[in-house]
Amino acid sequence: MITVTINGKEIKLEKAVTVLEAARSAGIKIPTLCWHEQLEKYGGCRLCLVEVEKMPRLQTACTLMVADGMIIRTETDTIAEVRRGVLEFLLINHPLDCPYCDKAGECELQDLVEKYGLTKGRFREQKRKVPEALEDPVLVRNMERCIVCTRCVRMCEGVQGASAISVINRGGHSHIEPFSGGRFDCEYCGNCVSVCPVGAIMSRLHRHSYRPWQLGSETKTVCPYCGVGCTVVVQVRDDIIKRVVPKLGTVVNNGLLCSRGRFGYEFVGNKERLTTPLIRKNGLLEPSTWEEAIRLIASRLSEIKDKHGSNAIAGIASPRCTNEDNYVFQKFMRVAVGTNNIDSTARTGFAGAQGFIENIFGQGATGNIISGLANSDAVFVIGGDPTTINPILGLQIRACSRRGGNILTVGHMKGLRYYTPLELRPSVNTEIALLEGIVSALMKKKGPPGSHPVLEARLKDLNAQEADLPRICGIQGKDFSRFIDTLAEAATPSFVIGKDMIQSKGGSYGLFLVSAINYIVNGRIYLLSERANEQGLLDMGCAPDLFPGYRPITYPEFRKRYENAWKTGLPDKPGLTIFEMMEAAKAGALKCIYVMGENPVFNLPHTKDVEAGLKNLSFLVVQDIFLTETAKMADVVLPALSWAEKDGTFTNMERRIQLVKKAVHREGMEDWKILSEISSNMGVRMNYSDAEEIFGEICRVSPLHRDLNYEEIEKGDAIYPYKGEPLRGSTDEIHIEKSAGREERGKLYLRVERPLFHSGTLSRKAPALVNICPEAVARISPATAAALSLKDGDIVRASSKTGALELPVAVDEAIDDSAVMLSNNFQGKGAFSLMEYEIDPVTKAPCLDSNQIILEKVNR
Amino acid sequence: MRAGKFIQTIFFTEIIKGMALTLRTLFTPPVTRRYPKVKRPVKPGFRGLHALAKNEEGKMKCVGCGLCGAYCPSQCIYIYTSEGEDHKKIVDRYEIEVLRCVYCGFCVEACPFGAITLSEHYEYSDYSREPLYMTKDKLLANWDRYFAGEKGLRYFRDFWRPKAENFSAYEGQAMFDKVKARRKEQK
Repeated sequence: MITVTINGKEIKLEKAVTVLEAARSAGIKIPTLCWHEQLEKYGGCRLCLVEVEKMPRLQTACTLMVADGMIIRTETDTIAEVRRGVLEFLLINHPLDCPYCDKAGECELQDLVEKYGLTKGRFREQKRKVPEALEDPVLVRNMERCIVCTRCVRMCEGVQGASAISVINRGGHSHIEPFSGGRFDCEYCGNCVSVCPVGAIMSRLHRHSYRPWQLGSETKTVCPYCGVGCTVVVQVRDDIIKRVVPKLGTVVNNGLLCSRGRFGYEFVGNKERLTTPLIRKNGLLEPSTWEEAIRLIASRLSEIKDKHGSNAIAGIASPRCTNEDNYVFQKFMRVAVGTNNIDSTARTGFAGAQGFIENIFGQGATGNIISGLANSDAVFVIGGDPTTINPILGLQIRACSRRGGNILTVGHMKGLRYYTPLELRPSVNTEIALLEGIVSALMKKKGPPGSHPVLEARLKDLNAQEADLPRICGIQGKDFSRFIDTLAEAATPSFVIGKDMIQSKGGSYGLFLVSAINYIVNGRIYLLSERANEQGLLDMGCAPDLFPGYRPITYPEFRKRYENAWKTGLPDKPGLTIFEMMEAAKAGALKCIYVMGENPVFNLPHTKDVEAGLKNLSFLVVQDIFLTETAKMADVVLPALSWAEKDGTFTNMERRIQLVKKAVHREGMEDWKILSEISSNMGVRMNYSDAEEIFGEICRVSPLHRDLNYEEIEKGDAIYPYKGEPLRGSTDEIHIEKSAGREERGKLYLRVERPLFHSGTLSRKAPALVNICPEAVARISPATAAALSLKDGDIVRASSKTGALELPVAVDEAIDDSAVMLSNNFQGKGAFSLMEYEIDPVTKAPCLDSNQIILEKVNR
Repeated sequence: MRAGKFIQTIFFTEIIKGMALTLRTLFTPPVTRRYPKVKRPVKPGFRGLHALAKNEEGKMKCVGCGLCGAYCPSQCIYIYTSEGEDHKKIVDRYEIEVLRCVYCGFCVEACPFGAITLSEHYEYSDYSREPLYMTKDKLLANWDRYFAGEKGLRYFRDFWRPKAENFSAYEGQAMFDKVKARRKEQK
């Protein structure tokens, strides 16, 4: 126990910390400019100087460690004098343009000068003149204002790991500049903006449009983009979102955000948002009234139900909608329509993979705490770059590396390339062989743990030879044995599995092998999730075979319980998955699809097939916030409220239920409200007054959410309870379907790029993200470029069996020689339009990795 | 004493005195003004209808820093700014809900550039709220109307020297006696 006295107050400390931290723990404020709680200490600004008895000079509180018996004073006349001097030095170059500067009002320098400083410096020379750097579309640098505290540089290097900016020049001329010159070439996380104490680096999105004190309201909510579920604070003025900022001390992201979360909010106020219901009349979508639209949908649905049966209707739920919306959606489909044909795009990977892994390890196997990754001693990454799919999770992997953990990757992960990963890069379509090799080698090295007989029985006949690997996968034996040694020695390894793994041929077998590796080394599994509420959607029972809370519908006792809860009979046959729906629609068995907040025409592979299927329907309802590709084909389009305009809950990939709160007012109805209106018109009354009431019902019905309520969630630790017992599935049998794509050397394969700056079709309505990454490009390796004599920016015609696109190429060293990477975000330029798929028999996910593609240069 | 009072009571001297005052006042000019026809001269520093000052070039001085609105006790100043074509801050809307203003003059005091002013004009009643909701254009027109010529210069020189120029008070600046005394002591 260390006892120190600060300003006459005795403080007892468990372990040695810095004087600054000791003072903060006692609620004593010491002014700082270079110190920030997320960053390494630096000791550069000299503002935290304090007096320590028996020490001859003033000491910097941020670097001085406490010792027993120290007597410290933080506010004396001498200290104030010194601080005034330091501030006067800073004001030599810092311009007094506070009335123009957007930071004024929340500027740390301004506050300190107000407290200690002179109103005017004595320095009579000219101030440094540096023109504002306006080259970048998102960030603006005003280096006159920079006080070189280097917070941004330390954030960029030490926390974000992008290393994009640095201090250049010396002395009075030193300032911050990105290595790329005027325009930033970085991850655009904007974390430099949130740590800058002055107005030197700022966002251009809301430039000059408000002052901090004019912001009307602040709402703590959850980011709408990926499955990490970062806490964000939405700041609003006059029902326009001015900015989205992170909050220090939150559980999931602790003051960090990524580009999508920070700069992608503008879709909410986009002018293209739907405002009134649209009904197709004489082939054209025409504005209409809510009453007419709802009555039409109710009557058409009843008609189809009577004529063709309930199973001629299907519903597609949305991983962008709240738990409440999805719960009401599946209840509407099951009770009012009477079908189990409910699915979502989670079927393209997340749902099947989660089901598969939970079947082996029990429920909750994939729901691990994200911040725990940083404490692992090894992270095994496969199937996609976590730093672009789930950037904040990616940061934890980087933090793990910084703390001495090893990063092991199968395939090249661009975002982790500076973190000395042990990298195994198998040649195309040989991941399965490599994983088999890893399992065999680990079994030989560590032996079976013996706690899971079913899994071990499956591993018995597996005997891949290490010696074959160089021949099959093109991997050096030396690299492989280092990889195995590191993995075998790890005490707390983590496994991060991306969608590419699930969407490859033999994906379920690959998943089984990764699970086996996880089992042998006793690790934790993280399943990357691309959408905010992919997890919650499944919890709510938006799946053809599950009720809310993962209760299988085929068990009569579970069905009985839901029948009692909803006071109605329920269909007992599992419904169609989203891919089966498209096939059924094409075949004519399905007459109507109700789409809530999803864009299947764009977000499902083999676009043409999906389009043909939807065209074949006699009735298509789309409920969305924009007129998407799917909405353009619909018979009725209903405008919904977006994430910022409604209350509800999201469940993130670690199964933490978090509140989404209304930040902006907009006329219209929430998704659940529209559905309950239609349901009431169909004769099944649903009377919910607000989202909280729906959540109450969820908690009564779903065994996972028992005893939860909004107050409990607000406290922040509502990771839903398991009570130790797996709720679904048994581990008696593991279905495996062995298959693997054949390698054809010299051919190019199309791969889906999952870019950092975009997410589905939502981000293309956010101008800032479009400015950062404006168009679809086909990324190819230098070798491919050389072989086809292409260079950066050349326009190519990319053609596959299902179609062709014309788009520019970008040469990227991170790409495999056999791959062409194309994102699925830009209108008319989606990778999915060039892809065919095969359904994996176990996970029911599409296998997308065997799509060959031909690139031809287009001469203009 | 009692005799004196007795005499006063008997001879109604107080009434005579009162009547004398009445008689005298009958021949003096009236104190009240016949208001709409005769207007009261306004003292310098009067706080009347708002105006937005223009500089020598005739452009609006206001940069939209929002300090007036932050200071305003009745929260009746609304400012909306945006990024102009040359990336400078431009003021799109500057609006004052005059009916809610309490004429404290804090906005004028807060303004670092001497952009918001309170003119000597006080006659602006109307039948609806609309005309009394001051927009940027109206406020700028008020400057031309009520601060034409020397008047504007004098306004700032004598009363509201903008803080951006000098944070110390001007020699002849109007201020409370106590503040003045304290300033002198400090010197």
